[in-house]
Amino acid sequence: MNTLSPREPIAPFSLSPWTSGRVLVLVNTLARFSLKAEASRLYLSYVWYLVEPILYVLVFYVVFDLFLDSGRENFLLFLLCGKVPFLWFARSVTLMSESIVSNRGLIEQMDIPKILFPLASLLEGVYRQWPVFLLLLLIAFAQGFLPSPAWLWLLPILLVQLLLIACCGLLAGVIVTYVPDMRILISLGMTFLLFTSGIFYDAGEVGGGPFAGSLLLIFNPLAFLITCSREVIMSGAGIDWVHLLLLGVCLAAVLVFLAFLYRLLDRHLAAEVLA
Amino acid sequence: MSPGRVKALDQGWQSSCEASPGVVDARGLFLEFRGRFPLMAGHHNIALRDVSFAVRAGETFGVLGLNGSGKSSLLRILAGIIEPTRGSLVCREGLHRALLSLDLGFRHELSGRDNAYLSLLLQGWSRREAFRCLPHIEAFAGLGRFFEQPVHNYSSGMRARLGFSTALYNQVDLLLIDEILSTGDISFRQRAEKALETRLRGEQTVVLVSHNESQLETLCDRVMWLDKGQVQALGPSAEVVAAYREQAGS
Repeated sequence: MNTLSPREPIAPFSLSPWTSGRVLVLVNTLARFSLKAEASRLYLSYVWYLVEPILYVLVFYVVFDLFLDSGRENFLLFLLCGKVPFLWFARSVTLMSESIVSNRGLIEQMDIPKILFPLASLLEGVYRQWPVFLLLLLIAFAQGFLPSPAWLWLLPILLVQLLLIACCGLLAGVIVTYVPDMRILISLGMTFLLFTSGIFYDAGEVGGGPFAGSLLLIFNPLAFLITCSREVIMSGAGIDWVHLLLLGVCLAAVLVFLAFLYRLLDRHLAAEVLA
Repeated sequence: MSPGRVKALDQGWQSSCEASPGVVDARGLFLEFRGRFPLMAGHHNIALRDVSFAVRAGETFGVLGLNGSGKSSLLRILAGIIEPTRGSLVCREGLHRALLSLDLGFRHELSGRDNAYLSLLLQGWSRREAFRCLPHIEAFAGLGRFFEQPVHNYSSGMRARLGFSTALYNQVDLLLIDEILSTGDISFRQRAEKALETRLRGEQTVVLVSHNESQLETLCDRVMWLDKGQVQALGPSAEVVAAYREQAGS
């Protein structure tokens, strides 16, 4: 073997994690490999990533359109416009919350920034979700909601939702690492959000009147984002872009803070995982 | 063994250390794993107690001890994975270090190739370098068609082959080796030892943890014997290994 010294030593990753594109490459590789690992456990492999959302829509169609017959026009699309963004949020945050603990094997072998693991889960969520969003738009199109310039608002809306997921997931990742019991509360919190994010109803028209509706949209960013997505797809209307911009700026600031927090706690997190 | 004996055994090195600056200097390392909550505060383990030593550049430093003596915890501190509860670890500025162990945190659903690739990326290699290195790892590991199969199909010896072959390519100032030469079949073990010896003959600084005292005696300049997290002896490998055998035999 003549390759024992194949090259000059390079700085270990932990010394300069933020100074090169290696972080993106690593996060992307971790996310892709995680999808690959899960697909390898299933008979239908990657096909499930397309089949699952289609089955999901079918379940909603059978329950809400055929059985319950809500009477509301386009109720299936109304529901999907709320449920699809919610599912992205709930699944990604849950995945991110357990990402550090579930990577114990790697953490006990290498000094690597722990923030990589929740970020990889975040990207994994994006990879899983984009076909679902595509399906949602196809259904809207099939139901006669033709694409309009207003649909371009979906890009900033989804970007802000990505920031929201990143913030909640990173925070949950730290909390669950220190207090594993919190994963139970996170699961409960997702159920709470399911009913308070305007998925089954219009968040602007809750029982307490317009004031209560406004409060819900202010204090539950997910409800605001779902309402925005729905308005853009179903009404072709513009959105409260000032609200969206402010939310995005606040979330970006929180994200920077969380990145520092991870850097500060990096080895404490490792010790906690190994304890 | 008394602290006096520890000091006496280490005197030879102390004098040569002045000529050769230390790579790492551990002072009074103390490591404690505590239960998570006050209710479980009684549930804690002390992995290391007041462990002090230094490793000089180019030295092969062995760590010997029974299961649970704190060897792996010590390596994790040296690798920068965790911090000691008390004490300090002074490293030479810009020190590049890596831990080499049997299971590099493998993802068992992924193939040997994927795991090796991921491991190289995590160790700091670029994508291009990692791809270039994979055929060498494949050849050295000698796993044949298993290299493309999920790691959960591997025997423990095959996982050791993959782990050793992947980690061997890591060029660092301080190489930390945890029990990696103790598994695998005889032919691979011989190849692995030969590859490691080639590396040791160079300027490589190594901290080697093993149950195999003969291996430590052969490969190491000095050995530290840990027992229940405490240093029992520290000095030239032959003397410490003899003291260890003496106690094991008694």
